[in-house]
Amino acid sequence: MNPGPDGVEDLLRELAPQVLAALVRRYGQFHLCEDASQEALLAAAQTWPRQLPENPRGWLITVASRRLMDQVRSENARRTREELIAVATPAAELIAPPADASPADDDDSLALLFGCCHPDLSASSQIALTLRAVGGLTTAQIAAAFGVPEATMAQRISRARATVSGAGFDVTLPTGTERTERLRAVLQVLYLIFSEGYTASVGDELTVPSLSVEAIRLTRWLHRLLPADGEVTGLLALMLLTDARRAARTLADGSLVPLADQDRDRWDQAQIAEGITLVSAVLPRGNVGPYQLQAAIAAVHDEAATMAGTDWPQILGLYELLELTTAANPFTTLNRAVAVAMVHGPQAGLEILAELGGDKRMERHHRLLATRAHLRELAGDGPAAAADYLEAARRTTSLPERRYLARQAARLTGSLG
Amino acid sequence: MKYLMMIYGNQEKWASMPADEWTEAIGRQDAFNRKYAGTGELLGAYGLADAVQARLVRREDGQPAVTDGPYLETKEYMASFYLLDCENEERALAIAADMPFADVEPVELWPILHEAKTDL
Repeated sequence: MNPGPDGVEDLLRELAPQVLAALVRRYGQFHLCEDASQEALLAAAQTWPRQLPENPRGWLITVASRRLMDQVRSENARRTREELIAVATPAAELIAPPADASPADDDDSLALLFGCCHPDLSASSQIALTLRAVGGLTTAQIAAAFGVPEATMAQRISRARATVSGAGFDVTLPTGTERTERLRAVLQVLYLIFSEGYTASVGDELTVPSLSVEAIRLTRWLHRLLPADGEVTGLLALMLLTDARRAARTLADGSLVPLADQDRDRWDQAQIAEGITLVSAVLPRGNVGPYQLQAAIAAVHDEAATMAGTDWPQILGLYELLELTTAANPFTTLNRAVAVAMVHGPQAGLEILAELGGDKRMERHHRLLATRAHLRELAGDGPAAAADYLEAARRTTSLPERRYLARQAARLTGSLG
Repeated sequence: MKYLMMIYGNQEKWASMPADEWTEAIGRQDAFNRKYAGTGELLGAYGLADAVQARLVRREDGQPAVTDGPYLETKEYMASFYLLDCENEERALAIAADMPFADVEPVELWPILHEAKTDL
């Protein structure tokens, strides 16, 4: 059987977390296991396109275990560690590993994901480690996706592994409130990966993996493992419903197209349908979390044929619920201000923004200035809107956003002059 | 978030420093560079040659036309620059404040524009 390089890559990325999780469960020593499983994946990438083994997962675990032992032998404290490994290895498993992943393997993979999103790690370390250990991306691919040198990314991953190993990698899943907390961190990491991919457009798509596609793949996988969790479902729906607009968000020259001006024929209807099905299934269950609410808002936007035809009262209601049920977040308030403006007129929206302006973090923030510019323009105050657009353009660090905001300012001053 | 961090100086200022202090200062800067390369936040650290070596290059009739620089006539010039990639501005400010020279000379910090765009 000759699966070709693409088929092999997909298969390897699917198996990567299972193999690493199996190794960690067996041997502990996260950083050594991670090295060994990466080496096994590389070996597979070279040989499998010619000949796929009968039991790919077993092949990887066997090869990775051998590499692990080679590594351990070459270390100083080899005698003790070899003994540990020999004791920990059920010989039968190494020779004939199970053909299919069992529920225990699912738990292992989940524990691996929880470990990569360990609270001792910074967000960027959690992201890098998750992409490598669970996503099966190479260090070079992750470095390219974030636009940093490979050596820098290698250093981050190495430190993250050391932190996770030092904290004692937990192969059992947390329970109760700890589980809820840790799962929240996992969802946050997946959402950050998605947002990074959704926004970044650097590099060559052939070599730089799309992080939003990767985030959707990982969240889909998590949803398969935890189908009853409303927030996992909500996050998957939110990603699908947001990503569905990707083709319409930018022009060929890279310039931004705001929601109001997007060509809605270019939205991905299959993805919208899947997202709506997912979110519609969980909302009636009650106890609705922030990802479900944001998915519901995205769904209302996606269902509208035009900006004017959008069900703004419903969006406003959802933002009010989001603000009531989650910790205070000025960006949620910003979004609510826009919805208020669409329902009750721009002046009502501007009043909410005036309250936000008292917040030190927000008063000079480009998002607040850009939103105020938009509402001031709706209210008919062109000069003030232009000034806000210009100030927002100076305060963003995103190049496409700066160009967009500067163009808005020029449009207004041009029409005035 | 990527940042450009810069320190400034001039020949007189560097020349006024005793040799042993100079060696010690370089040692502290090397230690800083190692520390933040180790955290995966320092992408690169570069010291610049003296301002007398700066050139201004234009193209005239398709040919390079070179004159002595620098572009701006100032008392102090950029002495070294550092590329950072860190979580947020607070973190960049903390790293800048940890620069060995930061207790005597200010460190200039600029955000670098990136291609990411947020949902407007």
